[in-house]
Amino acid sequence: MRRTAVVLGAVFALTSLATAGAQSQPIDLQALVDAAPSGSVVTLVPGVYAGNVVIDKPLTIDGGGLAVVDAGGDGNGFEITAADVTLRGLTIRDTGDSLDRENAGVSGRSASRMVVEDCVFQNVLFGVFARQSPDAVIRNNVIGAKDLDLGRRGDGIRVWETSGAQIIGNTVDGGRDSVMWYSDNLIVDGNKFTNGRYGLHFMYSHDATITNNVLEGNSVGGFLMYSKNLTFTGNFIGGNSGPSGYGLGMKEVDGASVRDNQFVGNRIGVYFDYSPISYDVTNHFVANLVAYNEVGLMFLPNVERNAFTGNAFIENREQVGVSSGGEFTGNIWSVDGVGNHWDDFGGYDADGDGIGDIPYKLDDLYSVLIDTHPEMAFFADTPAARAVDMAAHLFPTLRPRPKVVDEAPLVDMPQISPRPSGATTIESTGLLGVSLALLAAAAAIVALSRSRIGGLR
Amino acid sequence: MTVAVARPQIEAGTVVTIARKELRDSVRNKWFWLYAIAFAGLAGVLTTLALPSARVAGYGAFGRSASSLVALVQLIVPLMGLTLGAQALAGQQERGTIRFLMSHPISRSEAFIGMYLGLAAALSAAIAAGFGSAGVITVMRGGAADAGSFARIAILSWILAAAMLGVGMLVSAFTSRSGVASGSALFVWLGLVFLGDLGVMGTALATDLPVGALFFSAVANPVEAFRLATLTSFEGSLDVLGPAGTYAVDSFGSALDALLISVLILWVIVPVTIAWYRFTRGKDL
Amino acid sequence: MIRVQDLTKRYSGTPVLRDVSLEIAPGESVALWGPNGAGKTTIVLCMLGFLHFDGDVEVFGKDVRRCGKEIRASIGYVPQQPSFYDDLTVAETLGFSADLRSIETARAEEVLALVDLEEHRGKPVGALSGGLRQRLGLAVALLGDPPILLLDEPTSNLDAAARQATVNLLEELRGGDRMLIVTSHHLEEVSMLVDRVVVLDDGVVVDECAPAELGERLGLRSWLHVLLDPDDVPVATSALTASGFNAHLNGRGVLVDVAPEDKAKAVEVISGAGVTIRDLEVWR
Repeated sequence: MRRTAVVLGAVFALTSLATAGAQSQPIDLQALVDAAPSGSVVTLVPGVYAGNVVIDKPLTIDGGGLAVVDAGGDGNGFEITAADVTLRGLTIRDTGDSLDRENAGVSGRSASRMVVEDCVFQNVLFGVFARQSPDAVIRNNVIGAKDLDLGRRGDGIRVWETSGAQIIGNTVDGGRDSVMWYSDNLIVDGNKFTNGRYGLHFMYSHDATITNNVLEGNSVGGFLMYSKNLTFTGNFIGGNSGPSGYGLGMKEVDGASVRDNQFVGNRIGVYFDYSPISYDVTNHFVANLVAYNEVGLMFLPNVERNAFTGNAFIENREQVGVSSGGEFTGNIWSVDGVGNHWDDFGGYDADGDGIGDIPYKLDDLYSVLIDTHPEMAFFADTPAARAVDMAAHLFPTLRPRPKVVDEAPLVDMPQISPRPSGATTIESTGLLGVSLALLAAAAAIVALSRSRIGGLR
Repeated sequence: MTVAVARPQIEAGTVVTIARKELRDSVRNKWFWLYAIAFAGLAGVLTTLALPSARVAGYGAFGRSASSLVALVQLIVPLMGLTLGAQALAGQQERGTIRFLMSHPISRSEAFIGMYLGLAAALSAAIAAGFGSAGVITVMRGGAADAGSFARIAILSWILAAAMLGVGMLVSAFTSRSGVASGSALFVWLGLVFLGDLGVMGTALATDLPVGALFFSAVANPVEAFRLATLTSFEGSLDVLGPAGTYAVDSFGSALDALLISVLILWVIVPVTIAWYRFTRGKDL
Repeated sequence: MIRVQDLTKRYSGTPVLRDVSLEIAPGESVALWGPNGAGKTTIVLCMLGFLHFDGDVEVFGKDVRRCGKEIRASIGYVPQQPSFYDDLTVAETLGFSADLRSIETARAEEVLALVDLEEHRGKPVGALSGGLRQRLGLAVALLGDPPILLLDEPTSNLDAAARQATVNLLEELRGGDRMLIVTSHHLEEVSMLVDRVVVLDDGVVVDECAPAELGERLGLRSWLHVLLDPDDVPVATSALTASGFNAHLNGRGVLVDVAPEDKAKAVEVISGAGVTIRDLEVWR
């Protein structure tokens, strides 16, 4: 992990302002910044400071976790226009709400190696916006959003032409997107992106590693677009179920390695939109858990060259879907004799090598119907739809051409790596209470039914 | 000697006496137990099957077993309600016990309401036992679910049972032969659970039915209204149902729940009212 | 007071009762008499409000269609073949019935004793014989000590001894202001129990009379069974045949087919032939 060096100059001890901080008038932080020598560390005492601070020289501002910078509902918290600026331990709040002027808690412009860490952002339009600020570090921040219509919100984290940035350990909740534009070699690790539009959004940003993040409750968990050679590993992508509702969307992405992730409870686990786009590139999906999604994997027609091995497909309403039911061949469902685990595999493993002795074929008539006639999704899972599937299995002439043929299905559930911390779990005590109450009610009614009729013995 | 004294047409005491007798009869009925055990057993098995993987994923797990549970409810609860209701009037008439009952100073309304409530209580017991055991199995095996959604599905199943019981009694009110009543009830079951949906599917595939028409022709079916109402509770939205679901969400928004539950409630009230009218005004015993 | 006015009942268009009218006063006992299919039971079912019909049935001035519940409070009804809930025991059945009539348990005990069913009280009704079911039916009918007893073929399922016991019990229950309405095709029963017989045939009231007149009015024939010394049988038979009687050998006597008014004449013919009559009985 790289750290931005901070040149320690004279330390301004601002103890004289301690009493002033309790007053209602915000403290003039700009004056303190202006007065501080380049490269120095400004340590703030607890209190409320006025925002719209412009920092145009190397400087460290440390709020110790108790200083509040209030933009007063207008403009930015900080605007950084110089390299080597560090903001630490601040609460930054109440920016303006102009999308045109991109009001942000911290707005960096040509601020190489800027560091924003251990800060809390409240009621901000954008959280941290880094433009042309290579090697920026955005670490361990908690970033909230303004209570506006989703389309009028800003992005929790926005990175623009800022290669080599590290985005680590942040919690971003309720913003529009967290989006990376034209920035290569990013490290996005251990963040939690929740309740936004696109939890994490990559545009033309290559060679990033995206690891151990939680993308939960967004319209789309992560959407990777036009980016090459992304490593997407160990993430938890759950409950992203808006109208588009992808856990992970991939549009024209080449050379992706998607490994050890959990895609759980999304409308669509992974959405494939012309990925990979280049004819000589294969994208690899290894050892992911794809479970409890409405559709596990959804492909646009003619998407090819995705290789799947060691993944587990569990209890998805539809394991693999093909949008509008077009041509679907050319993906690879087993690699070097190792396929995937499908919970609806009906075959057997007589020789006990862990590989099914017959191929797994996904050929449910009803799921094909849904692919070609999306309105049929309305009846998915009904007894009538199951009857259609059953009829197709009884009468092979009704059976459609299989969408997926996995020649080496895994009969046992592969080991799934533990999920990153911070993902939602549900308590079971309430369920137990309700269940016991229901059983008690049933017992009471049966007891009543066994009591004597009439008063005669 | 007692001489006739004016009594109200519906007295709570009389209704309760009849309801208790009817409850006792149903609970002693082997078919009732068969259904109840099948329901509880299958609910338990479904939950168990879904759970080993649920523990791995630990997220939204009940959503999937709930959706299997809902499909099970769609199959079994209407069957229970319809056959139990169909046997109620016609069976008693075929055995002649309705004359024994009605030779007492009770009104036909009291007899009808008593029977309905007694059977509804029996159905409630079966449903509560099924959901209760499924829930306990879920918890014992380390699963979890949102208690509110779970309770909501149980309550919706109960309303569906009440509606299907009424439809069964409606069938029963128009025949005095229990064989005819049971046969008709099975046909109604087939229609509501399979043929209705298959019909709408076929029409949609053949004619490019507008999604609105698809939505309404499906939702008029109480079994579908039930399913959609449960979906809104554990999926949070009908978007998962494709264009027709999106249409429903866009057209009704937050009123969708109220619409679906109203359809169910109408299916409780209307058949039972017609059955009651037919039994009290039109039927020879 | 029961008033039936122009009662007509059709089953899918076919009339089973046509314009039946009759009145029964408090204290009166009436038999509805006729062959099977005459419509006796249908009248009873209309009085109970079980059927829909044209015309009027009023009990104590109340329309059975609107006040069925009140009317049934004053009627004790024993169907021809009582149906009960087979799972309930005798005691539970009576208790259930008592609950529906808001009658105290003590009265149910009393009625149980009255029909002599105490030893069967714990048995499920489904396990009872026809006779015991009939008695339970009677017990249920008597629970409310009703002013009207409606009995549909009350002795049809009983053996001779039980039949006699039932007839005796009904004889006791007659009288006061209680109305007793019996459907029957047993003339003895009718003649012992009722003041008046309403004769039905094919859904129409064809006659009304006192029970003693019934045979005559209908021109019914009886069998006169005359017990004789065995040696006298051929003599008596030929004398009867010579006088135009239809006579057969029957055990230790002769069986003679007679119109009601000819019974004495047949006896005279036998005596006239010098034969001693040991005993006599009339069979219907």
